[in-house]
Amino acid sequence: MTGRTRILAGLAVLILLAARGWAEFRFPMPEFESGYEQPELHTPLPGRTNDLVDAAVLAAALAIAAWLVLRRRSRPGVFTLTAFSLIYFGFWREGCVCPVGSLQNVAEAVLDPGVAVPAAIMWFFLLPLLFALFFGRVFCAAVCPLGAIQEVVAVRPVPVPRAADQVLRLIPYAYLGVTVLGVATGSGYLICRYDPFVGFFRQGASFNLVLAGGLLLVAGMFIGRPYCRYLCPYGVLLGWMSRFAKWPPRITPGECIQCALCTDACPYGAINEPTPDTPPEPRRQGVRRLAILLLLTPVIVAVGGATGLASHAVLARLHPTIRLAERIAAEDAGDFAEMTIESETFRASRTTTAELYEEARRVRADFKGKSAWLGAFLGLVIACRLIALAVVRKREDYEADRVACVACARCFPYCPVENKDAQVESQET
Amino acid sequence: MLKSKAKKPEFVADRAARRIAVGVAAVSGLFSLVVCVLLIANYVQVRAADPLDNPELLRLRERLSASPEADEALVEEIRALDLLSRKAFFTSQAHLRMGGRLLLIGAAVFLIAFRLAARWNPRLPARQAGTDAPAQRRAIARTRELVSGIAVILVLAALTAAYMTPTGIPAPGEAAPPDTPGPDAVAESVMPYPSWEDMLAQWPSFRGPGGFGVAPCATAPTAWDGDTGAGIRWKAEVPLPGFNSPVAWDDRVYVSGATDTIREVFCFDADTGELRWRQALPAFPGTPGTPPDVTEDTGYAAPTMAVHGPWAFALFGTGDLACFDVDGALVWGRNIGVPDNHYGHSSSLIALDGELFVQFDDKKQPRLLALDVATGNEVWVAQRSRISWASPALMPTESGFQLILASELDVDAYRPDTGALLWTEEGLDGEVAPSPTFSGSTVFVANEYAMATAIRLDTVDGAVQSEIAWQWEDSLPEVASPTSSADYFYIATSMGEIVCLDVASGEPEWAQEFEQGFYSSPIRVGDRIYAADLKGTTHIFTTGAAFESIAEPRLGEPVYATPGYFANRIYLRTEQHLMCIEGNGE
Repeated sequence: MTGRTRILAGLAVLILLAARGWAEFRFPMPEFESGYEQPELHTPLPGRTNDLVDAAVLAAALAIAAWLVLRRRSRPGVFTLTAFSLIYFGFWREGCVCPVGSLQNVAEAVLDPGVAVPAAIMWFFLLPLLFALFFGRVFCAAVCPLGAIQEVVAVRPVPVPRAADQVLRLIPYAYLGVTVLGVATGSGYLICRYDPFVGFFRQGASFNLVLAGGLLLVAGMFIGRPYCRYLCPYGVLLGWMSRFAKWPPRITPGECIQCALCTDACPYGAINEPTPDTPPEPRRQGVRRLAILLLLTPVIVAVGGATGLASHAVLARLHPTIRLAERIAAEDAGDFAEMTIESETFRASRTTTAELYEEARRVRADFKGKSAWLGAFLGLVIACRLIALAVVRKREDYEADRVACVACARCFPYCPVENKDAQVESQET
Repeated sequence: MLKSKAKKPEFVADRAARRIAVGVAAVSGLFSLVVCVLLIANYVQVRAADPLDNPELLRLRERLSASPEADEALVEEIRALDLLSRKAFFTSQAHLRMGGRLLLIGAAVFLIAFRLAARWNPRLPARQAGTDAPAQRRAIARTRELVSGIAVILVLAALTAAYMTPTGIPAPGEAAPPDTPGPDAVAESVMPYPSWEDMLAQWPSFRGPGGFGVAPCATAPTAWDGDTGAGIRWKAEVPLPGFNSPVAWDDRVYVSGATDTIREVFCFDADTGELRWRQALPAFPGTPGTPPDVTEDTGYAAPTMAVHGPWAFALFGTGDLACFDVDGALVWGRNIGVPDNHYGHSSSLIALDGELFVQFDDKKQPRLLALDVATGNEVWVAQRSRISWASPALMPTESGFQLILASELDVDAYRPDTGALLWTEEGLDGEVAPSPTFSGSTVFVANEYAMATAIRLDTVDGAVQSEIAWQWEDSLPEVASPTSSADYFYIATSMGEIVCLDVASGEPEWAQEFEQGFYSSPIRVGDRIYAADLKGTTHIFTTGAAFESIAEPRLGEPVYATPGYFANRIYLRTEQHLMCIEGNGE
């Protein structure tokens, strides 16, 4: 270690230690005359590192992930980086800030011009998308702590039937839509509220959340990355970006020999087979189906919008005011003998029931139009998925699906071309 | 250079290493499972053992609250149990944290061992059969059908959820229907409500119209004798006990009485004392089979009734609230919840402009209800943060009426028509029983072992502003509520002292000691104060700057209730009787 490095390392340690100094009493402690001893300070530290430092670490991890996937093509390297990300972004940073949750901050800033997004959160939101635009979903590969914890437990993943996989992959769109609805209506940050793994990272969460996270991890031993594939709303945005990736991950470093061994390696259903020589159906039939679907798209969107509008009262229960108002009304009607913490707090406040109900009606009215937009969005997603199924693209080789592939590098060692190159290199040595 | 880039072979078996890895995985997996089960068991235990809800602790605290004097041994017992309970809770939490860490380590070891076992027993890649055109077509068709089917199911499910799920938020003006609507409820709902001027000619609630301890009449009798019956127009037996005071409207006087099994309302003829009718309340939905615990000096009929034209309302310690018409027919009735406060419910009812106000100070859900007098429907509810045993008072101001309530810490004023909080001031402490009064624009509250507080009100740009004008900390009332004249507030204590305080400065003008204490609230009638003591002697004195006694007529029976002063008569309730005093009009 050079002198300069030692100085830099020392400074870093000092900065970390200085963070303790920020945790101080805002008000002087009262003085007791009874000999009472003040308890030791237990105020949580403001942060273990600076958010901008985290953004820099994120950028570095993304760059290393892209290098490991695209240049080194190293599965062990990717897995090692995965372990680092799990420890750093997961257990050390306790899963916050994370790009998945940052989309809520950005959505709120877009919907409300009065809300600003901190620079670090903006970087967290943008960097993985930028990398996806160039290199595919390298963020999912080895940087996302939520993906990392699932990657680590995926010891015996089995493929999910393709049709079921395709349907389940619609859920993240719904989650994304509901998340934006939650932000737009002031219902809170649902992704953070229902993050299934944050309880493990912080070693503390509600029993239900820990149970849900535990079940997801147990399922993740046999179904690869269930949260990433079937829930993650940020994955939708990453998929949109990686669809246009300039240098996406490739299964083989050379020419595909059509051995199909890679399909055995991918537990995520992210490898597309070559299309058969004969088309699956006559061209005329396919064009007709596509035309019908294109014509039906506005109808599907309208049906979705109407359904969303009709469901606004149910969706409004996302909002804490609606839940509280319904609870208070039920308690007053004698449906419950006990109060919840929320209803007890409300009853101890100076807000009247009439005011609460009035506010609840205002919130519910706010949900009307926004729920219709959510329904229309989901209608559009379903229509687009049906259209995508009606379009047959010609493929010569086995290819990683640009949207679904999480760049985990599992398929690389399975490729005979990859191994042949490695043997040649070895012999040259 | 090239050597460093060479990759290690991926699919190499190592049986010995695999056996070790499998063994480690099995042991760590079993360990993790055991820790997981223990963690869940510990969680259930921690959840059940919330130190705040320890039943034994709650029981001891209630015992301490009910205890009239500080019981040091009991306090120590509570402290010890509280400490033990907290220690147990935090120890369990520490176990949870430790278990969580052990589980994390166990799971990590299990996963590493499992992965190594898989690595040392590699499954060679198998060539997958390619999909031909018909199979691909079938697969696409299946996916398309599944996507379409799921979309239809989702739409149907969403619509079903939308139309089947009750939304549960009452619309404006909507409230729970009365449990037992009276026969003429709808017809009566269109009857005109008595005006404030109408009320000023009656004795419609505890401490008179508005409930602030000032009689609407200018004079009242000053001479009577309980032993000889002189000055007593009639005397009637009240069949059931109750500490509530009489209320009167036109030719009817109402009181209520109750035991732990029966709750009744009695209507007497104001001229003759004849019992016109008595009605027992039925059990409403929610009426408790076992009545709540109350103390002997509160009982089950402490709240004074209210009468509002053709409606008479009664509230009992069980939470049963009923409305009767002038002939004794039940118009509506409901149980508004079993009140949970450690002495028993005692706040009295008051009505204005077709709304009945119920200060329902339940320990868990203290609230102020405004109910439609004709139907019992809820007009609004205001949540309160603290309870008291005092009663609401209506204060007429330039900007409209203010409904003033005392609590264990604050004095709160609400708009009677909306329930909106107008102002609040911290001017009390302890367990408050005396109700507020006012003089001019100054509200006055007081409570024993705490303080008396004068709050000056001002209206600026249509908004009511309040500020504490002064406070007084000597000679404070325990039960009796203060009264006022234009210049003075009058406090009657349970120790037998009456103190006169200057409204403007709070300075004591005089203090007079008597042999007996006061539970019955003093009432100002014109330029005189009437204060009945616990032995039944009424001390009548002038409202001047010096104490000047006018008369001290004796009744010979203990008096706890506050008499009603109405139409040159006094309606007075003793432990067993209701009597009407009518003198020379003085």
